[in-house]
Amino acid sequence: MCGIAGIASLEDISERLVGSIRNLEYRGYDSCGIALVNGSKAIRVSKNIGTVDEVGAKENFSKLKGSLGIAHARWATHGKVTKANAHPHTSCGKGFSITHNGIISNYTNIKAGLLKLGHKFSSETDTEVIVHLVEEYYKKLKSVEQAFVSALRDLDGSFAIALVTKHEPGRIYCARFESPLLIGLGDDANYIGSDFSAFIQHTKNAVFLEDGEYSIVTHDSHCIKRISTGETVSRPVQELKWDPEMAQKGGFPHYMLKEIYEQPQIVQNALDIDRKLILGFAKIALEKSRLYITGVGTTFYVAQLGQYYFSQYAGLTPMVISSDEFRFLAQVDKNCAVLALSQSGETYDTLTALRHAKSMKATTAAIVNVMGSSMARMVDHLILQQSGPEICVISTKAALSQMIILARVVLEVGVMNKRITLKQAKTFEKEIGQLPGAIEKILNEKSGFIHSIAKTHSKIRHWLFLGRGRYYPIARESALKMKEVAYVHAEGMPSGFLKHGTIALIDDRLNSVIFTPPEEEKQLYELTLSSAEEIKARGGYLLGITFKSRSKEPLPFTDQIVLPEAPPFIAPFLEMVVAQLLSYFTATTLKRNIDRPRSLAKSVTVA
Amino acid sequence: MKALLLAGGRGAHMAPFSSTRPNPMIPVGGRYVIDRTVSMLYEAGINSMKLVVGHRPQMLTKHLSPEHPTGMAIHFIDQGKQNGIGKAMLKARDQFSPGEHFVLVYADTLTASNIISVILQSFSLHNEPTAAICLTRSGEKYGNVYLGKDMKITKIIEKPKLKAGLGNYVLAGVFVLPEAFFGFLEKSKGNMEAALKHLIKKQSLRASIWGDDWLDMAYPWDILKANQMVMDQWKEAAIHQSVELSNTKIKGPVRICEGADIRAGAVLEGPAYIGPGSFIGHNVLLRPYTSVGANSVIGHGAELKNCVIFPETVVGRLSFIGDSVVGEGVDIGAGTMTINRTIDKKEVKIKEGRTLVRAGLNKLGAFIGDGAVIGASNILDAGSMVQAGKKIPHNCSYPAKR
Repeated sequence: MCGIAGIASLEDISERLVGSIRNLEYRGYDSCGIALVNGSKAIRVSKNIGTVDEVGAKENFSKLKGSLGIAHARWATHGKVTKANAHPHTSCGKGFSITHNGIISNYTNIKAGLLKLGHKFSSETDTEVIVHLVEEYYKKLKSVEQAFVSALRDLDGSFAIALVTKHEPGRIYCARFESPLLIGLGDDANYIGSDFSAFIQHTKNAVFLEDGEYSIVTHDSHCIKRISTGETVSRPVQELKWDPEMAQKGGFPHYMLKEIYEQPQIVQNALDIDRKLILGFAKIALEKSRLYITGVGTTFYVAQLGQYYFSQYAGLTPMVISSDEFRFLAQVDKNCAVLALSQSGETYDTLTALRHAKSMKATTAAIVNVMGSSMARMVDHLILQQSGPEICVISTKAALSQMIILARVVLEVGVMNKRITLKQAKTFEKEIGQLPGAIEKILNEKSGFIHSIAKTHSKIRHWLFLGRGRYYPIARESALKMKEVAYVHAEGMPSGFLKHGTIALIDDRLNSVIFTPPEEEKQLYELTLSSAEEIKARGGYLLGITFKSRSKEPLPFTDQIVLPEAPPFIAPFLEMVVAQLLSYFTATTLKRNIDRPRSLAKSVTVA
Repeated sequence: MKALLLAGGRGAHMAPFSSTRPNPMIPVGGRYVIDRTVSMLYEAGINSMKLVVGHRPQMLTKHLSPEHPTGMAIHFIDQGKQNGIGKAMLKARDQFSPGEHFVLVYADTLTASNIISVILQSFSLHNEPTAAICLTRSGEKYGNVYLGKDMKITKIIEKPKLKAGLGNYVLAGVFVLPEAFFGFLEKSKGNMEAALKHLIKKQSLRASIWGDDWLDMAYPWDILKANQMVMDQWKEAAIHQSVELSNTKIKGPVRICEGADIRAGAVLEGPAYIGPGSFIGHNVLLRPYTSVGANSVIGHGAELKNCVIFPETVVGRLSFIGDSVVGEGVDIGAGTMTINRTIDKKEVKIKEGRTLVRAGLNKLGAFIGDGAVIGASNILDAGSMVQAGKKIPHNCSYPAKR
């Protein structure tokens, strides 16, 4: 996802344009740039890596002037986070500049053709081909509009595009196909944007482009035409009434829920990560005499879950240390590999742990969501999550994605280690492939029950989250969710641990949740149920998260959320989604500040 | 944008109140439901509203005509025969022009905050038909939706059996629809569900998740829930300057309107509402979630708890009204008690025709229709339904129908 914006006016709009992309930063914030047109002089492009404010400082956005321009906030998909890859991109003759959101699937073919014609590319992006293509057509057709449309007709994939040119300095050309784009009509200027947060501060009157349409926007006019036929389309102007943040949440009341609902796609993205990257790390994990996995907060629990998967499916028990404690506990040397987990790639504690590992000559690796982040740049081996920006301070989709990536590593190591056969590994991988559908089913069919339970028990101030084996880290992660978003005290612990002390706490003011494996994992299942009996015997409320079972025996739960049958390999992930919703609905019932809980920040960059 | 409000239904389960009024003319938190909806629409930027009326239409037309204080232009449409949502909508078809989108609202749904603003914001993201969806404890009574990518609704299952184990988001009775939807309605012979399914198949329907409280006022005890939902939003007390207080104890958000006469010794525990021109006698105890309608009289020493008293009603001295709803112009004699629990403290069940309805509440009092007269010294059993206009003699305990 990226964000594009543009403004056409007769006055200086540079400041407004920077404001537009600042409002679009939620769509991507690894790099940004703007292009300003000043009459028939060359187009001025300023771009770099970093947030809008960082780039603004580096590139002196405040000194720029211009009455027409386009801008872009990037979230890298094709090509690394570099200055050259940042948008806008400019054609060889510097006559055209372009920003783009989407993916051009046939760009390699187009690029090959253009290279033959002598075009020189300065980036690795798919976007750049469009601007060279327009330039090429312009040479032949001598009309910007015809060149633009001809280029659009050559593109496969999805796009929202904005183009400016010195040949027609008063116009912005834009088009969309499967990526959002709308036009804002103001008093002294017209605007374009990926959504209305790009211009809502300036105008509330908007026109929506539809797939397969392009538009020419000037300071006082706009027209919409079909790309395929060139016929003009008339579209009524709409009055928008709303706050920009609402747009960014896309119909969800909170980012947290939005990101929970993005998880089916995020699992798919994790599965699409190049196998070479996964294999590369698996080799390191196996070659080195010791493997450490480190993270802090949620990522520590992700690491712990990884530890259980490594042990169970790859015959290897890595050391898992919370990164804030890493310095005090880890014995690192050149025979070690250290894998760090971080959504932002800027987590102070984890960076410190990595620096320590590096200074001891250990091999370092990281699973990180933000390309170009400190962690991404410093490690020897990087796996990028492709989870898209995570806005809610509470991590949901990014954590699940890290778990899936770790599971993929485990399967590779397991095969190399001869713990599982290639066939088994393939089966497990297929099972992960069932996750998106299974998560969608839970979100669709179980939300109501989870919501009811959360509402009924919202006044409870103390919760225990219990699980055994792979369900233990899930229990801890789920307890953390409850604490961070609902401000309700929750403790995650192995359910076997309960009777060694904590069980004394059980009464009618303490609720428990128990994560139950599918029946196939017989031993784990029975042991988990025996812990459940212990709670029941003491009259405590117990919510069982469980899978549909064939046996008719009543289970010792006060309430239960029964999930459709699922293979044991992926079962813990599904139960975690249930717990995410439980915390979320508890927090909404208690009217908490969901996306920005008190005292918490998205990336903790201090000690 | 215009709005289409459907307020023509009879309120199938709303006896004893449905015989004399349509659901939107029920007051909660001191305001009629219809007035809340109109304000919400107005605040969301809508200034033209088409209101389909059917059951007891005069009540709505009289209340809303000629000019609404907000300045909302209201056009009434008579539904005639009450034959479902879809047919009611079709009556309004000529009020909309091709290409236009409009907000559709079922007038007996109630939300804690402005659902119209939220759905309009969601709508403006894609400019495509949008349905508000929400979670409720009784999802089996509504259309259960399945969400696919980008909030597109992929499937609607109407009123699934409890056994099906579905706990989906449900349609919340608020939509933004294109004028072309009337075409789908016509094709499906006025069947709303079928028309929505057509829309999903032929075009698309996006969801806007409503995360705040939501209520469909179907049963009389839903009035109490609605009242609580509204009052839970109140943060502070508001007492009109015309009101004199002496030796009155006030705790929490209590709203007292113009001209209310509060006598010494009253204890008012909020959230509570005291309507304009009402009288609260000496030593009256109002406990939380009590709403006293305009010009009502609460006699000396009465105790009221979690109840909604419509306007122009008299509660005689030394009475107890708890977990109950009392209609308009009701006369309750002195020393009348509502019983609000069963003897074994189990859920109160109410007989509706031949079926027993579970209210899901352990405390439930009486539901007294408009204009009823209850003699002095009566005891009304838990879950009693008193029909509108009924006269109960003095000293005659009233059995609940069960």
